[in-house]
Amino acid sequence: MTTFVELLLGGLSMGSVYALIALGFVVIFKATEVVNFAHASLLLAGGYVTAVLHDDIGFWPALGVGIAGAAVVGSAVEYTVMRRYRGADHSVLAIVTIGVDILLTTELTRRIGTDVLALGDPWGDKLLTVGDITIAQTRVAAFVAAALLITVFLLAFRYTTWGVSMRAAAENPQTAALMGVRLGRVSLSAWAVAGSLAAVAALFLTVFPTPGLERATSLAALKAFPAAILGGLDSTTGALAGGLIVGVTESFATGYQSDLTFLGRGFGDLAPYLVMVAVLLIRPAGLFGTKELARV
Amino acid sequence: MKRRARHTNAPRTGAALLVVLALALAGCSGKATEGDGKGEDAGGVKTGQGVSDKTISLGVLTDMTGVYASLGKSVTQAQQLWADQTNKAGGICGRTIELTVRDHGYDPQKAVAAYTELEPDVLGFVQFIGSPFVAAVEKRIDGQDKGLVLPQAWSANLLGSPYVRVVGATYDIETINAIDYLLGNERIAKGDKIGHVYFEGDYGENALVGSEYAAEQAGLTIVEQKIKPTDNDMSAQVAALKKAGVKAIVISAGPRQAASLVGVAAAGGFNVPVVGNNSAFAPQLLATAAGPALMKDYYIASSTLPIGSDEAAPKKLATEYAAAYPDDGLDNGVVSGYTAASLYGEVLKKACESKDLTREGVDKALLGLDAFSTGFGITHDFSDPAAPSTRESVIMKPDSKVPGGLKVVQEARVAEPAEGFTFGG
Amino acid sequence: MSDTTHAPAKAAPHRTPRAYLWLAGSLLLLALPFYLDRFWLQAGLFAMAAAIGAIGLNLLTGATGQLSMGHSFFLAVGAYGYCVFAGESGEENGRQLTGLGLPTWLAVVLAVLLAGAAGGLFSPIAGRLRGAYLGIATLALIFIGQHVLFNAGDLTGGFNGRDVPVLSLFGFDFDDTEVVIAAVPFGSSEKLWYAGLFALLVGGLFARGVLRGRPGRAMNAIRDHRIAAGVMGVPVARYRAAVFVLSSMYAGLAGVLIALIFQRTVPDYFGMILALEYLAMIVIGGLGTVAGAVVGAAFVALLPQLLTHYSDSLPLVADPGSGGVTPGEASRYLYGAAIVAVVLFLPGGLTRLSVPMVRRFSREKS
Repeated sequence: MTTFVELLLGGLSMGSVYALIALGFVVIFKATEVVNFAHASLLLAGGYVTAVLHDDIGFWPALGVGIAGAAVVGSAVEYTVMRRYRGADHSVLAIVTIGVDILLTTELTRRIGTDVLALGDPWGDKLLTVGDITIAQTRVAAFVAAALLITVFLLAFRYTTWGVSMRAAAENPQTAALMGVRLGRVSLSAWAVAGSLAAVAALFLTVFPTPGLERATSLAALKAFPAAILGGLDSTTGALAGGLIVGVTESFATGYQSDLTFLGRGFGDLAPYLVMVAVLLIRPAGLFGTKELARV
Repeated sequence: MKRRARHTNAPRTGAALLVVLALALAGCSGKATEGDGKGEDAGGVKTGQGVSDKTISLGVLTDMTGVYASLGKSVTQAQQLWADQTNKAGGICGRTIELTVRDHGYDPQKAVAAYTELEPDVLGFVQFIGSPFVAAVEKRIDGQDKGLVLPQAWSANLLGSPYVRVVGATYDIETINAIDYLLGNERIAKGDKIGHVYFEGDYGENALVGSEYAAEQAGLTIVEQKIKPTDNDMSAQVAALKKAGVKAIVISAGPRQAASLVGVAAAGGFNVPVVGNNSAFAPQLLATAAGPALMKDYYIASSTLPIGSDEAAPKKLATEYAAAYPDDGLDNGVVSGYTAASLYGEVLKKACESKDLTREGVDKALLGLDAFSTGFGITHDFSDPAAPSTRESVIMKPDSKVPGGLKVVQEARVAEPAEGFTFGG
Repeated sequence: MSDTTHAPAKAAPHRTPRAYLWLAGSLLLLALPFYLDRFWLQAGLFAMAAAIGAIGLNLLTGATGQLSMGHSFFLAVGAYGYCVFAGESGEENGRQLTGLGLPTWLAVVLAVLLAGAAGGLFSPIAGRLRGAYLGIATLALIFIGQHVLFNAGDLTGGFNGRDVPVLSLFGFDFDDTEVVIAAVPFGSSEKLWYAGLFALLVGGLFARGVLRGRPGRAMNAIRDHRIAAGVMGVPVARYRAAVFVLSSMYAGLAGVLIALIFQRTVPDYFGMILALEYLAMIVIGGLGTVAGAVVGAAFVALLPQLLTHYSDSLPLVADPGSGGVTPGEASRYLYGAAIVAVVLFLPGGLTRLSVPMVRRFSREKS
């Protein structure tokens, strides 16, 4: 039972980090209808800035600069690349983000080299014990931070002018533009928001129990793909639900590996994708995604 | 990006063909006239591919931009250092050593291409990282190329070829020795369960063969946890092993996984000894949050003395390497790269004595080498291609005060079960 | 070049030089094995295999607008399918492997059909999803594929992969036993070169036929406006499923060729990076055309080889380990930049470079 609860809590906290990444995908997708495969490199950029600076200026300022840095990188990608595309095919733009990702990741991994960079977080390897259940403090922090950020974001999305213009742009870009929404700004801010969310996610992906930031860290962003799709690519609630489902599925599939040997070992990485395919079979637009209504 | 299917593709296709051709022609060579390059120099030494009157060319197939980047960098720089030193001392057989380096970034296609590219121009390969790729070209090595290849991998799957030779104990033997260390120090006993966290792939699965054998011999039960190289967080694995009640953990994975595993176990008060294979440690980890836990109860089995050892040879290498590459840290990749290169040098010297620097001559020279030692704690015997060059392992423990981060806790020895272990069973 | 009815007035002056170009190109391609090293032949073979796979992906993603990130899965089905069909049962590397021991030509056909069947199995899912959803759902295929390749040991050989049986046609073996033709020793690469050329030619011509005929127009209609296509009488669901199967068969053929070049299957190869490379190929070369796929495949497959081989004489590229930009990194920079640059500045891909400006026309989306 203890194991069950520990796995569940571990999965939920990991899932909340995936939710942060997935939320970034969703924001960009809502604003521009582009699937951003460069998300992994935004994550790496944010983490890298934090890791490099924390020794000199302390952890919190470094994290702030890291978040800002990733936001800047995100906006720069939007401004220099995405905006210049004149075609209408969003699949092509998705492939462009693959190109951007290759460029950014190559540069960052070249800088990181063979190091494993600590991020200097204040939690270290301390644990929180409640009864006979223990969980790393970093995981609690991840959960709290993710919950906080997602709430703030959902509120902003609903009540601020920025949120309204973003929703309008998602609903119908032409009409929104006619109503005075500056689509360029909406898309720029979406990329900035996605970047900063990724930077926060990078922090929690590289602190204890993982050893630190290194070149392969960005691979974790892959887990957010099934998360975003599961929930529905255009649903912020969906990103949250999807992230948690992926986190918990992965945690259970790994933790109960010995009982699942008939599926082959090392099943944990695969499980989220299987859940995703199963969900898509029943709901092609994800759990919370809006069904596409076609205009002819 | 919308457009109609159009009718006239030909000029474009033609242009495409021309591009391909132009690229291809750039690499043209007089193929039909090419012989096998065999000859004899003025001193009566037979020469073949990769050997001219002035130079001996050796290939290095490494990974400096992929998953094994940190290993690849250390090994390659150590081998470059060896080549420079050898050349400064007058070279071998009156020739200087030339290393041609290709970085394949752990991409199978690039690795196979790099092998194909270098093979005709080098005598052999002093480094080949990535045993799946070695396996992919093994048929060609055994069938026609016959150049001596020293892979930087210790999988028993690589045994058996007279040309692909593993320097050091294979992962299965290493794991048996590691478990024996725990048994010998009474950290585990008959009837206990031990966990084994291992990578999918030949490294982890070969180590698993060893742990299963050791467990069978000593009456232990193995609790398996297979992971992928992309898994960095071992919380779930630790939770599962804790639930199973294991008394010790073997880890056959990368340094990051080891750090996470040891860190999580220690933080959760799950105090069991953890032993790892030689690839499951990197000195960079000691600076991370898991550092103190790693120094407490974590052990590494390996076929060389650590670079931080007080013995003469590691000390000398550490000084020289630090002088040549002041920006780069010392780790055990340096030792294993240098050992492999020195072995190649030794073989070349022997081949030179028998006046045969062809690939056949080199292979013959290696088979005659049954007591090779460079002062790194282990004597290698290369007379049997079906067995690793040694069955001994040194057991080490992380220590941040030593260069390279490892100190010896048990000198090289063979565990009793490892003596009787047969390969490929 | 019989189908230039589109612009008969223009066709006449074009015909002769184009025919010469084709002739010269074909002769050169046929002559290459007599001159090039194994390294370059192998690079060319990889490019051919990539071109076949990219043609398939271009039918699916370029012409029909179905984003697929799981192309490498179907390559794996083809490669491993061939090994299982053609290989003998027996022990290899201490592992019991299953093989059917069929004639190799039959194994090639069956492997391609198997890849098509795998595509067919996935098409119920593919038929329900669109755009990004389909793209990421196909990503699941890669993870499933990798899991199976590593775990179904008696079929796939697990992490070790398995030996690829030598292709044998009419008693002629495409292996490394040397056959001397015109004083040039022919090894497996030289022999496979012709097999690869033949496969690429057949595959290319067939795809061109599909793209230029009724099905091609229907596919483009589905890409540009699915519902309008349906209204106009295109059986959308059936077309989408059929294209998925066809594209998988191309991938399967590419997989067989890759396996024959490697001489051993390496499971790590069939991962996500490969799938992304295929997407890069069709974007760089040009979406929706056979020539685009071929040019893109040549670019992506040959660029790293060229950079590595000539790293000594290239400026800005440092030797591995010397701290500068290594050839591996340089080729990644170039390849990433190429994707971005082509889409932004050369919509239509590299193949558009050779088309006169006059004939360039774009169409606004309705």
